[in-house]
Amino acid sequence: MSNALPAVDPITVEVIGSAFASIAEEMGEALVRASYSTNIKERRDCSTALFDTEGNTLCQAEHIPMHLGSFIGILPHILKRHPVGDMRPGDVFAGNDAYEGGGTHLPDIVLAEPIFVDGAIVGWAVNLAHHADFADRGHAHIYQEGLRIPPVRLYRAGEIQQDVLELILLNCQVPRERLSDLRAQMAANRLGVARMQALCGKYGTPTVLAAGQALQDYAERKMRAGIANIPDGTYAFTDHFDSPEIDGEMEFACRIEVAGDTMSLHFDSPPQARAGINMTYTALLSAVYYAVKTVVDPTILPNAGLARPLTVTAPAGTVLHCVHPAAVNGRLAACQRVVDLIHGALFQAVPERVIAACNGACVSATFVGAHPKDGNLWVYLETIGGGSGARAHRDGLDGVHVHLTNTSNLPVEALELEYPLTLLRYELVDGSGGAGRQRGGMGLRRVYRAEADCRLRLDGSRLHAPPWGLAGGLPGGMGDFRFSEDVTPFVHGSGGLRAGDIVEIITPGAGGYGPPAERPPAQVARDIAEGRIEAGMAAATYGSG
Amino acid sequence: MAWRIGVDSGGTFTDVCLFEEATGRVEVWKVPSTPDDPSRGIAQGIEEGIARVGATAADVGYFGHGTTVATNALIQHRGVLTGLITTDGFRDLLEIGRQKRPELYDMQADKPPVLVSRDLRLEVPERVRHDGTVETALDEDAVREAARALKAAGVKAVAVSFLYGFVRPEHEQAAMRILAEEIPEAFACAGHAVAPEFREYERLSTAVVNAYLGPVMRSYITRLAERLATLGVRATPHLTQSNGGVIGFEAAARLPVRTVLSGPSTGVVGAQAVGKLAGIANLITFDMGGTSSDVALLAGGECRLASEAVVHGYPIKAPMLDIHTVGAGGGSIAYVDSGGLLKVGPRSAGADPGPVCYDRGNAEPTVTDANVVLQTLNPEYLLGGRMAVRQDLARAAIGRLAEKLGMEVMATAQGIISVVTANMAKAIRVISVQRGHDPRDYTLMAFGGAGPLHAARLARELDIARILVPRNPGILCAMGLLLTDLRADFASTRLTTLDPAALPDIAAAFAGLAARADAWFAEEHIAPEARRLIRTVDMRYAGQNYELPIPLPEGPVTEASLHALAEGFAAAHRRLYGFVAEGETVQLVTFRVEAAGIVRKAEFQPQPDAGPDASAAIIGAREVWLPEAGGFVSCPVYDRDRLAAGNRFAGPAIVEQMDATTVVLPGMTVLVEPYMNLILENAA
Repeated sequence: MSNALPAVDPITVEVIGSAFASIAEEMGEALVRASYSTNIKERRDCSTALFDTEGNTLCQAEHIPMHLGSFIGILPHILKRHPVGDMRPGDVFAGNDAYEGGGTHLPDIVLAEPIFVDGAIVGWAVNLAHHADFADRGHAHIYQEGLRIPPVRLYRAGEIQQDVLELILLNCQVPRERLSDLRAQMAANRLGVARMQALCGKYGTPTVLAAGQALQDYAERKMRAGIANIPDGTYAFTDHFDSPEIDGEMEFACRIEVAGDTMSLHFDSPPQARAGINMTYTALLSAVYYAVKTVVDPTILPNAGLARPLTVTAPAGTVLHCVHPAAVNGRLAACQRVVDLIHGALFQAVPERVIAACNGACVSATFVGAHPKDGNLWVYLETIGGGSGARAHRDGLDGVHVHLTNTSNLPVEALELEYPLTLLRYELVDGSGGAGRQRGGMGLRRVYRAEADCRLRLDGSRLHAPPWGLAGGLPGGMGDFRFSEDVTPFVHGSGGLRAGDIVEIITPGAGGYGPPAERPPAQVARDIAEGRIEAGMAAATYGSG
Repeated sequence: MAWRIGVDSGGTFTDVCLFEEATGRVEVWKVPSTPDDPSRGIAQGIEEGIARVGATAADVGYFGHGTTVATNALIQHRGVLTGLITTDGFRDLLEIGRQKRPELYDMQADKPPVLVSRDLRLEVPERVRHDGTVETALDEDAVREAARALKAAGVKAVAVSFLYGFVRPEHEQAAMRILAEEIPEAFACAGHAVAPEFREYERLSTAVVNAYLGPVMRSYITRLAERLATLGVRATPHLTQSNGGVIGFEAAARLPVRTVLSGPSTGVVGAQAVGKLAGIANLITFDMGGTSSDVALLAGGECRLASEAVVHGYPIKAPMLDIHTVGAGGGSIAYVDSGGLLKVGPRSAGADPGPVCYDRGNAEPTVTDANVVLQTLNPEYLLGGRMAVRQDLARAAIGRLAEKLGMEVMATAQGIISVVTANMAKAIRVISVQRGHDPRDYTLMAFGGAGPLHAARLARELDIARILVPRNPGILCAMGLLLTDLRADFASTRLTTLDPAALPDIAAAFAGLAARADAWFAEEHIAPEARRLIRTVDMRYAGQNYELPIPLPEGPVTEASLHALAEGFAAAHRRLYGFVAEGETVQLVTFRVEAAGIVRKAEFQPQPDAGPDASAAIIGAREVWLPEAGGFVSCPVYDRDRLAAGNRFAGPAIVEQMDATTVVLPGMTVLVEPYMNLILENAA
């Protein structure tokens, strides 16, 4: 399709690029506002994007970088299974599978709809919602983790495929929320389709398609220009990975080769595990694209062009590049570590542009229980941020979602209304920011009390391997899960709570940057006055205060 | 009591609009602003203004004012040292917010500064549950101790915000009483009084912003009131809120957080009034200044009222007109980025040094420079001849940009206009398409210094067929103050199901709100016949967390009102999201009453029709670059002051007046309507 396209001047390209961005953002707003589950409506755990006919990202809205993995994964699988000639306006494909649907874990259900103009497909409106379902499942392999959906038509020419819908809903624990969130996903795509059609009507389809190509070329140029500014060389870094799902620690290693305007990244890790910590290759790609963009140039457009100068490799069958039938539900912790690895390696090349290790996890708590009045199940998922790594000239951010995640917390006043839980404390963890000339960000503490019996699954990382500092900065605090006395010990992060039980979730802080002795005494004194560090510890670590 | 005065004090000028009730005469007076103490410039402007029209201060029957004092204090972080008292376990909520980082990909970005430092955020034992029951009673001794600690720390303001304060305010009320005893000199406010709505962080943030701005606003208002009294102005002074309505100084001093959009909302009110006179109810307002532009949408003459927005990085729950601001104006700088694309803004050359053509040391081309090169702006002077410009410098600067792009100079200048137009179009899509409105159904009202210059291109970009340029685009805000009613908004959250069984609850909620509105009417001395109430209900499907505001018909609350609500909700939901969830439970969440005190407003008289011939207003011709014609085209230049009602002419043309230039593109016609507004229309 690229040979017949007209040349488009840079200004029209910019104007159409703005339109793509605003379409993706509008789709995201519609999805959040029309949805029912707390995970979407308050926590915004969803993403939207536009794709060209060949499956390249035209634009991804600024929601959750991790979700790019599912987006780039699904279109090839749709095109492999379904002849384009059979597609009709109003067809909507749904999919989530990690091996046959391009997904990165099963709760992320993607809806993709071809955009027709004058009888031909000109692109795709795509969105993903993390359905807080498939809870309290096993994670030895993917068959335990939930319903695997290859890309199938959920709508055919605008008509809902009731059989398919019912098959999906029967496999979900909270079908009413699933149905409603799927409707919200439909609303988002419908809007994306209409707005793209209007754009093609206004500028002419060939011009819009040409602008889409030009925007990818533009992202590629910016990426190449940015990489060219990084000194050539090979940079390696190794980190240790832990998780409640595995015993002991794993070693993750990365080797980055910068040559001119290209970058190759290679990752080594142990063989894939019988636990939900594994990452598919598309998950690895989304982590790499995100991390490289943050270091090279954060203003590069979020489209497929930025990937062209990058080569990403990892042996198949390992944790960082798993194959069927590995379980993947908790892939995000490992993905976060991939970002840390890349920052750690590139510190040797561009020390001012990288940051120290962040909380390195996606600490999450999934509660499942039955409503006393009707026996229907409820599922509440919360992912909790932590410290963000210190920067060369600035302290790290305290208590935020870092890197590949970007969800919001559920307000206490919504949480307690919807679920039989009480939040007793929600605060920064004193002393958890790694010491340094620039202090690492602080972790978070959330203390829940169960008001009814329920099951709880806790995910996290950096419970044993602390988030490292850079350039002499010290590590930040580690994560922890603590329980009231009579709670039966959890196994691999899962267990039961009874009414009145209390669980305390502590997320990791982040590493510091630069020697602590170089921190200005006034800032140390400020941290002590604000209770962020304790005076005795300050004297020992900083030599002041 | 013959004159009404509206004062808009902006960054550069303070505009005073005077209106004589008996004759309908309107006079405008501009004086330089005095940013260190805006009340000084305002007093000077009023004094000179009334002297100029031959009136005295005692003749002033109404004084309305739009101010940027609150918004500037928030942007520049010049509020007071503020303390917070909150529920045990939640002092960091203000800092954590929703756990969002400020930028997704930029590792160097920081959050906006927290307005209360961690050592001044004090926790006290207390806990209310979501149903209003008390789990832990308030520890009043702990509150007293906290108040004393904050006093010792020297705070000038204190916010109190507890979990579920909006459900059961007793704990917050008790804390306020203790604060009044222990630290009476400090400004204090409570979450339930400032924003009685669900979501603890946003309510807390609103209470904190209110406290932080409280003393700043109180001292400003006190100074201004004193200056007005010294001048001999006896009329009760009023201030515009972010909702476009005006309130008395007392109320504004209590709730400064409600005035953060005072400035731009005044412009929307002005536009609303002009639209009403011209008989145009569906408007998109486009107020383009030097560094930023504000856009808003008026459907049926009304601007959507948002109940919450993030203002300068801080979430604020307060009724605000749905105004969208974009960081692009006449002074915005154009540049080529590392990937070779042309970008405009948000960096601005401001008024000083200003665009390249001002010759005050800036070498980076701005939007104004592009207009000077294209000659849509006068290439020799601006401001009616008061300011010379250097087109050669502007051309050279754009030439440097053109070289980088590999484009012609004129195409580059036109490109700057195209990019800035696209930015504006994006902003307008936010307030139109994203809210379910098609911009093509609206008239674009262009004002502010640069609005009329860019309106024609913007309208074409959005397929808008009609543009209205008001008689005085530069002082529309001040004029708006003479055309606005007194207004206050009251809300209460009470989760209810749309069901006849809920009728008593709904009636009780509205009765409570009406009582609060009555108290306000009394405070503002509004006569019974001038009182108006508009009732709305925020509704959603059970399970959703974002509501749609649906109007409740007048009269007693009956089953018929419930039907109207149900139908209104279904229609709104379908319009926005494309579906209706048949059979799903519908919830009523927040009940709102908008109370208006109808004031006597300036009345403008239509001018007699002088016929279509506009030739007497032509003061010359200018070569203007028009890409559709492929080059410079000689365009007639009209003097706005010489145009008469009924005059008609066709584009391409330029209309100049002291504070604005209107561009009319080929294929557009212009009519001077009876109220002297220009109506530009695309020929079919």
